[in-house]
Amino acid sequence: MRSIIHYTPRSSSLLPSFGFAVRSPWAGLESEIDRWFESTLSDVVTPAIDQRFPVDLYEDKEHTYVRAELPGVNREEINVEMINGYLTINATRKAKGPEGEESFALRRSIAIPEDVHADKVGATYENGVLTVTLPKKEEVKPRKITVEVK
Amino acid sequence: MSRIQNLIPSFTRKSAERDNSEPTLRPWYEVKETPEAWGLTVYLPGVSKEGLELAAEEGAVTIRGRRGWKFPAGWTALYRESVDAPYELVLSHDNSIDVEKIHAELKDGLLRVSLPKADAVKPRKIAVN
Repeated sequence: MRSIIHYTPRSSSLLPSFGFAVRSPWAGLESEIDRWFESTLSDVVTPAIDQRFPVDLYEDKEHTYVRAELPGVNREEINVEMINGYLTINATRKAKGPEGEESFALRRSIAIPEDVHADKVGATYENGVLTVTLPKKEEVKPRKITVEVK
Repeated sequence: MSRIQNLIPSFTRKSAERDNSEPTLRPWYEVKETPEAWGLTVYLPGVSKEGLELAAEEGAVTIRGRRGWKFPAGWTALYRESVDAPYELVLSHDNSIDVEKIHAELKDGLLRVSLPKADAVKPRKIAVN
């Protein structure tokens, strides 16, 4: 199978366009040039091994949440690890390429702001979005120490 | 340049007819070709079958996807890279697709559409006397 068009949204195109106020005056020209490059280079450039995927970080009182957009990945091949305050997400995406199965490795490490109960971390994968729930550790409450001054 | 565009049936996008009512995102997509059909792969994370609309009409294939997930009330966003806008992808084809036989499958946010070529466009061997 020959790949005709391979489109990867660049970060600038992820911004929804609200009209002229936000769009740069070059945006029209840029997208035309993009299109031209896509049509000429698509045979030459192999599909990019997109290692990056968008993640969102949220929190509420009890938990920190990480949502990662990983469409088309097998559940069994998602690996989530928590090491030293960093959450690492590893995933493999398999695609049927012209030579057979091609496999892309996706990997991202995110710093988690609060201390976490590492053994109570849970994750769900639905519709291509991985949601990791990290319960926060309660802060060690400062103890009041009274010092007697002699 | 334009000769090459004409030989390969162009999956071009409609430019400038912007529907300004709601900002939409163009998803990551890929088009591959076999002698029988075109295969379209679109990444739509967060979209389930209920939120997906796939239509083929007037020489264009339109895919719209809405994410099912809503921001839970108690959550504060610390850092966001994804955007909440719905996905929209419009690919125009010059009637080289047999719309009756389009087959689509959505799994885990990955949409695969198989667009069989209309008979007129399939490569045919021509016998020479």
